[in-house]
Amino acid sequence: MYPKEIEKLLLRVQKPGRYVGGELGAVVKDKREVDVRFAFCFPDTYEIGMSHLGIKILYSQFNEKPYIWCERVFAPWIDMEAEMRGHDIPLYALESGDPLTDFDFIGFTLQYELSYTNILNMLDLGGIPLRSKDRHGLEHIVVAGGPCACNPEPITDFIDIFFLGDGEEVDLEVIELYRVCKREGTSREEFLRRASRIKGVYVPSLYDVSYNADGTVSAITPLHGAPSVIEKRVMINMDESYYPDNFVVPNIEIVHDRAVEEIFRGCIRGCRFCQAGFLYRPVREKSVECISRQCHALCRNTGYDEVSLSSLSSSDYSQVVPMLKALNEWAKPENVALSLPSLRVDGFSDDILDQIKTVRKSGLTFAPEAGSQRLRNAINKNVFEDELMNTCRVAFEGGYTTVKLYFMIGLPTETPDDVAAIAELGRKVVDCFYQTENRPKGKSPRVTISASSFVPKPFTPFQWEPQDTMDTLREKQQHIKSSLTTRKITYNYHASDTSFLEAVFARGDRRLNAVMLEANRRGLRFDGWSDCFSLERWLEVFDACGIDPAFYANRRRSFDEVLPWDHLDYGVSKKFLRQECERAYRSEASPNCREKCLGCGAAKYGGGVCYEKRQSVL
Amino acid sequence: MKNVRVFYEKNGPCKYISHLDTNRVMLRAVGKSRLNIWHTEGFNRHAYITFALPLSLGFGSTCESMDFRILDDDEDLSVIPERLNACLPEGIRVYRCAEAVHKPAAIESACYEIILEPMKENEISFEELSDKLGSFLALPEIIVQKKTKKGMKDVDLKPYILAYERHEGEKVAFSLTLPAGTTLNINPNLLIGALADYAGVELYADITRTGIFMQGGADFV
Repeated sequence: MYPKEIEKLLLRVQKPGRYVGGELGAVVKDKREVDVRFAFCFPDTYEIGMSHLGIKILYSQFNEKPYIWCERVFAPWIDMEAEMRGHDIPLYALESGDPLTDFDFIGFTLQYELSYTNILNMLDLGGIPLRSKDRHGLEHIVVAGGPCACNPEPITDFIDIFFLGDGEEVDLEVIELYRVCKREGTSREEFLRRASRIKGVYVPSLYDVSYNADGTVSAITPLHGAPSVIEKRVMINMDESYYPDNFVVPNIEIVHDRAVEEIFRGCIRGCRFCQAGFLYRPVREKSVECISRQCHALCRNTGYDEVSLSSLSSSDYSQVVPMLKALNEWAKPENVALSLPSLRVDGFSDDILDQIKTVRKSGLTFAPEAGSQRLRNAINKNVFEDELMNTCRVAFEGGYTTVKLYFMIGLPTETPDDVAAIAELGRKVVDCFYQTENRPKGKSPRVTISASSFVPKPFTPFQWEPQDTMDTLREKQQHIKSSLTTRKITYNYHASDTSFLEAVFARGDRRLNAVMLEANRRGLRFDGWSDCFSLERWLEVFDACGIDPAFYANRRRSFDEVLPWDHLDYGVSKKFLRQECERAYRSEASPNCREKCLGCGAAKYGGGVCYEKRQSVL
Repeated sequence: MKNVRVFYEKNGPCKYISHLDTNRVMLRAVGKSRLNIWHTEGFNRHAYITFALPLSLGFGSTCESMDFRILDDDEDLSVIPERLNACLPEGIRVYRCAEAVHKPAAIESACYEIILEPMKENEISFEELSDKLGSFLALPEIIVQKKTKKGMKDVDLKPYILAYERHEGEKVAFSLTLPAGTTLNINPNLLIGALADYAGVELYADITRTGIFMQGGADFV
């Protein structure tokens, strides 16, 4: 329950429902009866955080243990933050209304580099010292996990423990260790040292980083017996992995207001720009029976009448049509709609279309990512133009008139011709509409082209690549715009300046900690929101810290450079990533995991797609 | 098929659920309760529920109602509150279910319990605020700007104060009856905003709707 003092403030802010809790499914325990209090913090607004699947899984899993009470904390929007600061109300958890200082663990999920400033701001609002070295005693352990933990170096001063890979087991192991240490009365330092020996745990304070004269990393040295390489954790059997049968159901509308079922983890494709495609290897599927059972329980328990079948590329689920049919056996009679996001152009079929949600035909979205076949080969997005056209034809015949196409600009090896091909592809989709015999009569097509700026990420084949400068990206955006000749195409592009900052932090090193701290001091937060982001203010921060952001964003690394994340192991070898990068230079696509194993290294986890029988072998 | 009306309280954190979101919360509760109710038969099939009178964001209430149609004429209505409550957040409690009697369009007025405090503690004393309230309501006319479909319009609220009763006690508390319904609806915040301007202080009002009435003052049931 929210603190009494905020009652008066609530009607002065937008969407007060964000700050009061009291939702169905929220877990309230007696704090005197638990050993460990865990504040699960999402460094963005309630509507964003409540849409995130990871928090739902871990929240339920932690709370199943009678001795843990896990609560939710979200970043207050700027209006509420001003009220809270103005009235000395510390950041509180939604279930108990207690401030962050009452918690043993303060856990953050790292979904996106531009939310880092919110982490610092939330700690500050909660009255927790920002830097690990200023926190003492066995309390207020600040932990973080999620995709950005694969290069957490820019925030190592603030986080005590990072969890690498899947959190379901490792988080609980660390919590168990904490209970033991609390009973034994050990010091914070001793707890952290012991934690560092758990697989998947990275305690940054136990590593020393030295640099070369040119600013690159020279060595990463473990201290106090910490492992020299930290390996990610993997839940290899997804059917037996914990999955909640109930969610906290928000009272106000959130971004993804529906039940979500994870149908598999990982992706077979290996698109070379995509970090998730490498971080979550190997692909591990749930069985149809398991998916159907979990979905059914979720819909019954939450009251949602829509379930989203989530994964990185849903049409790659090996049993997609049998799954949809099995689900519809109960979903149809119970008026539950199925939705299948992240459909690939080549995975779209009549069979699937028949089974998924048929109402609210707003439009279809596909991501060819690049305009020309040559560049699609170079980034390993194995989508062919005729597949896209076929799919659009199916969609137009099915009554759709709106198609959204997502692209990236600034991809490695990109030429002006590749950029112009984006507009050309949009035009071909418009033509395709008019060439479709059974198109919706009397309607005109709407094609939306969205172009975002490529951000090179760690653990991808493009981790060594420079990002295009903001000027180049802007030129490319204009080039697309001037190549468009029809008003049936709407062109959206994102500001390149947030992508620039994202690129700096994605591949940053420990020297950026000073930048984060200075940014916090200057009140920067919500950088992912155009209402708050200011590149100018960020450049001032970099300037004040004497750090050149271009060193991180726009510099080409050599293949033999020590990368700031080289001590972290996500299962894919550097050698493999380099091979893939070199294939990109030759505009060569690679087969996906189901077609041919390329020996990325993920087979060492002993399961998933690496051990499936291949179609070609059968 | 029976037209059924449930009455519920809306309090605590649920005060901050907007009207649109209340609709969503109720749709999920109805779905989860597995009550056999009539669904729309259009392209986008959904359970058909309606609300007699929207409640402003931030207001509590002891007299909210929602209508739906029960498909089975023999359904036991007395167990419906319990079934719905099991599927609703704690701040919403259904306490009554019966066949609908009145038409929502016939609603004429609503009563509110209001407790006033200065937004900043001690900015105005209890006595002073009490006096200001008294003298404000004694004004010959209370002109406020009301947003209408045709833009801002000056309205005199004085004739719309259908009933007013000051409560004894340590707080500035009173009940107020104002026109409500589809044709004319006066939000108590209009009056409180005017009072705050009159008194020259920022006010916080804890507002709970406690009654909805038909012409002649009969309860809406």
